[in-house]
Amino acid sequence: MNSKTAFYIFKRILLAILTVWVVITVTFFVMHAVPGGPFLSEKAVSPAAQKALEAKYGLDKPLLEQYVTYLKDIVTKFDFGPSIKKRGRMVLEIIGDGMKTSAKLGVIAAVIAAITGIVLGAVAALRRNKFIDKVIMVITTAFVSMPSFIMGSLLLVLLTTTIRLFPANGDEPGGLVLPIITLSLYPMAYITRLTRSSMLDVLGQDYIRTAKAKGVSGPKIIFGHALKNSLIPVITYFGPMLAYIVTGSLVVEKVFSVPGIGRAFVNSITGRDYPLLMGTTIILAVLIVVMNLVSDILYKIVDPRINLE
Amino acid sequence: MKKILALLLAVLMVLAISTACTKKQTGATSIKVCLSSEPDTLDPALNSAVDGATLISHLFSGLAKWSQDDSGKLVIVADAAKELVKGVENADGTVTYTYTLRDGLKWSDGKDVTANDFVFAWNRAASAALGADYGYMFEVVDGYEEVCAADDEGNPVNPDAKLNAKAVDEKTIEVTLYNSVSYWDELLAFPVYFPVREDVVSNESWATDPKTYVSNGAYTMTAWTHDSVITIEKNPNYVDADQVKMDKIEFYLSDDENNMVANFKNGTWQLIDGVPTNEMATLQKEYPDEYKVVGQIGTYYVCWNVNEEILPAELGLTGVEAENAKAEIRNAIALMFDRNYIVEAIGQAGQVPASSFVAMGMTNPDGSEFYKTAGHNDGFSGYYNVAKDAFEANFNTAKEVLKKYYAFDEASGKFTNFPTLNYLYNTSEGHKAIGEYLQAQLAGVGITMKLENQEWNTFLNTRKQGDYSIARNGWLADYNDPICFLDMWTTASGNNDVQFGKGAHANVAAYSLDLTDLGYDIKVENGTWAETYDVLIKTIKSCTDNEVRYQLMHRAEDLLMSTGCICPLYFYTDTFMISKNVKGFFCNPLGYKYFMYCTVEG
Repeated sequence: MNSKTAFYIFKRILLAILTVWVVITVTFFVMHAVPGGPFLSEKAVSPAAQKALEAKYGLDKPLLEQYVTYLKDIVTKFDFGPSIKKRGRMVLEIIGDGMKTSAKLGVIAAVIAAITGIVLGAVAALRRNKFIDKVIMVITTAFVSMPSFIMGSLLLVLLTTTIRLFPANGDEPGGLVLPIITLSLYPMAYITRLTRSSMLDVLGQDYIRTAKAKGVSGPKIIFGHALKNSLIPVITYFGPMLAYIVTGSLVVEKVFSVPGIGRAFVNSITGRDYPLLMGTTIILAVLIVVMNLVSDILYKIVDPRINLE
Repeated sequence: MKKILALLLAVLMVLAISTACTKKQTGATSIKVCLSSEPDTLDPALNSAVDGATLISHLFSGLAKWSQDDSGKLVIVADAAKELVKGVENADGTVTYTYTLRDGLKWSDGKDVTANDFVFAWNRAASAALGADYGYMFEVVDGYEEVCAADDEGNPVNPDAKLNAKAVDEKTIEVTLYNSVSYWDELLAFPVYFPVREDVVSNESWATDPKTYVSNGAYTMTAWTHDSVITIEKNPNYVDADQVKMDKIEFYLSDDENNMVANFKNGTWQLIDGVPTNEMATLQKEYPDEYKVVGQIGTYYVCWNVNEEILPAELGLTGVEAENAKAEIRNAIALMFDRNYIVEAIGQAGQVPASSFVAMGMTNPDGSEFYKTAGHNDGFSGYYNVAKDAFEANFNTAKEVLKKYYAFDEASGKFTNFPTLNYLYNTSEGHKAIGEYLQAQLAGVGITMKLENQEWNTFLNTRKQGDYSIARNGWLADYNDPICFLDMWTTASGNNDVQFGKGAHANVAAYSLDLTDLGYDIKVENGTWAETYDVLIKTIKSCTDNEVRYQLMHRAEDLLMSTGCICPLYFYTDTFMISKNVKGFFCNPLGYKYFMYCTVEG
């Protein structure tokens, strides 16, 4: 790594921090601007109780002061505060619990999606317009266009009740198989299509023809030249995709009763659980920013011609 | 390439084998159930959810508990108390109850349960500092007014005030109420009245982890995988442990009804407390012995903003005349909805068409149903006839009433100058379907009602502030006494969504109250809401003669319904599925489910 690259990475990290700060600031003020509040419920609490609760969570202070305190606690103590709705639990603890499952699901699903996607995409490209290519394209088109709640519900009905192959809740052994499959189908199909078109593009390049003319063996052309070069769009897609599925998919969590982070995120919005909402948003933002950064760095490794400047 | 494929295949095979090993369970002494997603808290004082109350009722033991007698009838019996005593009236009209704790009561960590644990728990739950949703459940206890007194800014006036309850010795609790309360025993069986120990709850996260969760009931919490499953097991230290049949209960945490049904169908869960509306009919047919519908004390209704202007300007009515006209119009519109259609075609869960606000399930002192004696009408119960064959007549009556106030075009059969209404509901398919039905009914006579949906928290805020003309609403009882449906409509109540006595309505002197026939020196003609309804509720709360008290509560409902601001649609039901192998299960009218006496056969 030369000094130019190091400087570039340093610049990108600074930019990433700035992005996360903007996300925190915007979320914080928008969140407080939305009508409602954490202590609203169907059965009203007394004004005295409301007042006491606001004081307990510092919500009685001016908004700007709350904002400064919040930032200070995160930066200096890495303290995301307590959840308001889940009394007695800390935001980091809730995020940690949810991430344990979501990360496991997400990483496995992403890896499966990447491997099968690249393999199927390469096969389709090499067998262009043959029967196998058409089958792969039809299937991937279906998976790309089918929303995960339909796919999930379909798998749930088919494989947990009609044929009792898998359990229907994430806590039983094997309960994570169906959620992983559901989560991986869309990115898998997407990666297949990306790899196919990018590989077709690469296979038409002059250097492939040159390699062929020089008598380089088939597998060497494919794995040594074509595949490697056709992975750039896949890498661009893979980073943010990983961030998205790792931070949880509410739909898949609901359909298969999996204790991930997605539900905590959505409930924190509907319940106006400000600290939890901020915490989950920040984690999501950091993950996406980091993944984007990693993809950019990976470009350089895959394709040295790319100038990071 | 082949290697990769082989690897993939191998991974799939391993996954398949791991699931094939899933055992089918249903040991005779353990049960897996799913009520809802994770409760926000399992602290008895803070919990306000029905599923949380079910869990807490298994984990804690209060002075009283819900039980079934030999004939299967639900009764409240003594639990931690030796007996449920009668109160002794004091010279100042307050009533004192003295309870003695049973011998051998233990916390799950082995320490003794003392009278002070109860007194501490009650003061904690009632305090503004804790801010519990159900703090107001202590409003009957002497001293509560001082405890919750606050100045205009919400600051407590007496920060050190305590309830009039004391631990006379280790085993004796003395508690004084403002006056005798017929539902006091039931309150004692309510989770917010359960004991907690001071040293345990001083750790604010005590109720989130089995290691710190110390309870005194039939079960102890042994595991809690957050958002996944809570496991509770029989507490050998519990005094009545010999009566508890079920050894282990696993409460799975899911709020997806389709997922619940899948887990019920494949035999994993033995009880699920939710069924998707669009599958109700099929499931009822497929599982006739396992699909259950039971009553739940609650009413689904539509409320009007009392200050909403609905009269045509050219009528020129003001003040009392205008209010009376509005009441008549609102009551007429309530007749235009076919409640049987709503419950059969939209609700589909066996709900009961409602013609009164106080829900089905509440009983008069003589044991008859409160809602059946409401409205004082011949031939039907409640404030309007909701029989199927009465609908057409109701609809025509309503039209005739509206013709008095609005221009009606006979040719098209439509009103031409009815102001546009707005119907506010919280985002949900079910509420939307009902809103659309109401809209269609009104559109039939030329009344335009726009539908507006808001996300839950925003909706609560808007409704509470009174920024709406008509809104969807619902109320579930906390205890078996009609007052919990009536005291919410006093001017100062935090649940007064209709805005009675607020804004312009504060000065509308359109109501009358005459209680002289019941022995009270109260007679108001053309009084404001504060002078009539608020006085009536206050009278009910201080009334010690149960017969008179119920008559007063009927009067309160009469007055409330006369405003037309409350348009009840149906009484709630609780739909759940329970495996036919489970015996000994029961639930109470508040929706709490009891598994301790269950056995699983087969």
